[in-house]
Amino acid sequence: MSQTQIETLDPASATLTLSLESSLYPRDILYAAAYVFLDRAYVLLDKKEGRFIVHLRGKLPVDEAALRAMAGEFANELLAQALRQRVVKANQRIIDDVTTLAIAGAAGGTPEHGSDDTLMIDEQNPAEDGFLDDPLGIATPWEPKKKDA
Amino acid sequence: MPPSSDRSTSATVKLHRALYVEEAIADAAATFADFAAFAVQSDGEHFVVDVTDINRDVDGDVVAEFCNFALANTAIRRKSDV
Repeated sequence: MSQTQIETLDPASATLTLSLESSLYPRDILYAAAYVFLDRAYVLLDKKEGRFIVHLRGKLPVDEAALRAMAGEFANELLAQALRQRVVKANQRIIDDVTTLAIAGAAGGTPEHGSDDTLMIDEQNPAEDGFLDDPLGIATPWEPKKKDA
Repeated sequence: MPPSSDRSTSATVKLHRALYVEEAIADAAATFADFAAFAVQSDGEHFVVDVTDINRDVDGDVVAEFCNFALANTAIRRKSDV
């Protein structure tokens, strides 16, 4: 028996039944693939004799070619989601680190390896920040003015 | 396949317990409570959902949309459990 196969196909009712080897496709991947189809088809999942059964019914009338295309797209989506999950797993550490850094930055914190000494703008002499010339004086800090007021 | 509720005011849906979360089904039932009455019970490997008093004036297939919501809710819950 193949990994993914069309069990039934009925253009009159716009229905399609697929069966998948459940040992090849984790449940999360099945959910992810099915989720993609929710906007254009009614989806019902079932399980029978070690295989996932996927019932699809198009929300709009479709012909046989469109139903066969839908079956192929579902199989492709399973593979795409499986790859996506593998990539996420392989890069989980990097994703966590980047997310932590972003949240720390947004919260005003500094990364563990940084400190206040690494501030790039000299508050006493902002013109020497090393970034841009400021011919219009836009970058004048407001703190000194506030003190004078 | 989700039974079409186009002509009938009642339908029965069987959702596999290994693939659908009961709370997700209950959430979907609550979402569609204005359009039909839902009774969920366990029966072996499935949750059996008896849908009655389906409002036929509603544009769309209430039972099939309910199944889609139950699936979407399950997928979201299972993902957040990881």
